[in-house]
Amino acid sequence: MTQLVELQNALAEFQAAGIKVYAISYDEVDALADFARHHGITYPLLADRGSKVIEQFGIRNHFVTEEQVPYYGIPFPGTYLVDEQGLVSAKFFQRNLAQRDSAEAVIDSALGRILLGEDEPRAEGGSDDFRITAAYHGGGGTIKAGALRQVVVRFDLVDGVHIYGDPVPEGMVATSIRVSGPPGFHAGAVSAPPTHAIRLPGVEADLPVWDGRVDFTIPVYVDDRIASLMAEAEHSEIEIQIEVAYQGCDVHSCRIPQQETITLRVPIAPHVGNELAGRLAGTVATTMPSRRFLVRQIVRGWVRSPVRGLRYLLGLWLDIRRGVAAAK
Amino acid sequence: MSITTPAPAATADPYRDELGLAAPVPASHGQRRSPDEGFSTGPNVGERLPDFVLRSASGDLVDFHVDRGGAKAAVVFYRSAVW
Repeated sequence: MTQLVELQNALAEFQAAGIKVYAISYDEVDALADFARHHGITYPLLADRGSKVIEQFGIRNHFVTEEQVPYYGIPFPGTYLVDEQGLVSAKFFQRNLAQRDSAEAVIDSALGRILLGEDEPRAEGGSDDFRITAAYHGGGGTIKAGALRQVVVRFDLVDGVHIYGDPVPEGMVATSIRVSGPPGFHAGAVSAPPTHAIRLPGVEADLPVWDGRVDFTIPVYVDDRIASLMAEAEHSEIEIQIEVAYQGCDVHSCRIPQQETITLRVPIAPHVGNELAGRLAGTVATTMPSRRFLVRQIVRGWVRSPVRGLRYLLGLWLDIRRGVAAAK
Repeated sequence: MSITTPAPAATADPYRDELGLAAPVPASHGQRRSPDEGFSTGPNVGERLPDFVLRSASGDLVDFHVDRGGAKAAVVFYRSAVW
């Protein structure tokens, strides 16, 4: 549900990119109205009662059985980006159901380029001819449990110079980037835009190069050691180290290979946990939607049988206790 | 986009998933269970998003393709706003 707030925070960027935002769940209209009011959501929250549209799309989570109230009917979470003609131009689904692509990733996909936010943490490196900007991109630049973000390493190369992709002839240095952080910080593989080929005097083969503005992206997330749904974070920020190596050349000559480490400081967002769990664990202030949910579950359980209602409450309490313990 | 880094030092805790994230139901519960390769992610890139009409939080009936009025759109399916 923090995803809905993240979408709201990025709504101006969505609008600037000409994208309307819609969010769909199986919740009741009044629960959605509570949520929209409480969190200031202004885009449509749509109520798919009975999960008919979820079923129609073929994305209902089939691991959840009908007995597993209230979870039955939820989708595998994901986002579709639709073009002006109504055709799907990209979709975002993650294998791990706790992970979400950021709102910014969806916007970037529509724009075909990376739009760094003003308030996203940045650090500078390089030199006048090879300006390097490292940024923590997504979610307004904050760390949250389970959220997928990107470290963006942006090279702005002065006209006429280029840097190399792999492979390069012996004695030259291809561009490499390594991202690391404290225990609990995870970085995936570097993804780079396509290179183009040039031929230098005295070199036999075509060389793969980048010039102008080059954005390298690295997907990152943090686990419970840094930020958890189930516990307050111990620290208010983390430091990410970005080791960069590259060599710049123009058609006449090459510069000395460069190597540097850029440090990016990223704040950890104030705790936004599972509201219901957080309430019972005492780590999050509850809101109207979660209270409504709790009452609904208890009443439903009680109507069927008091034993079932009690079992639900006990199970919930135990689950939350264990979830909180697992986060430590 | 997916994370290829191996999971952190795995604990045997059933409430912690393979990425090292804890939640208030066991990681094996359907609600949290990660789908195996090839799980359905619905309409494919290049296909028209199916028509749907749903009631919004403000009480209006929203006919998706009519409402977007020829604009691009992001359609987000999420689990729940209340838990």
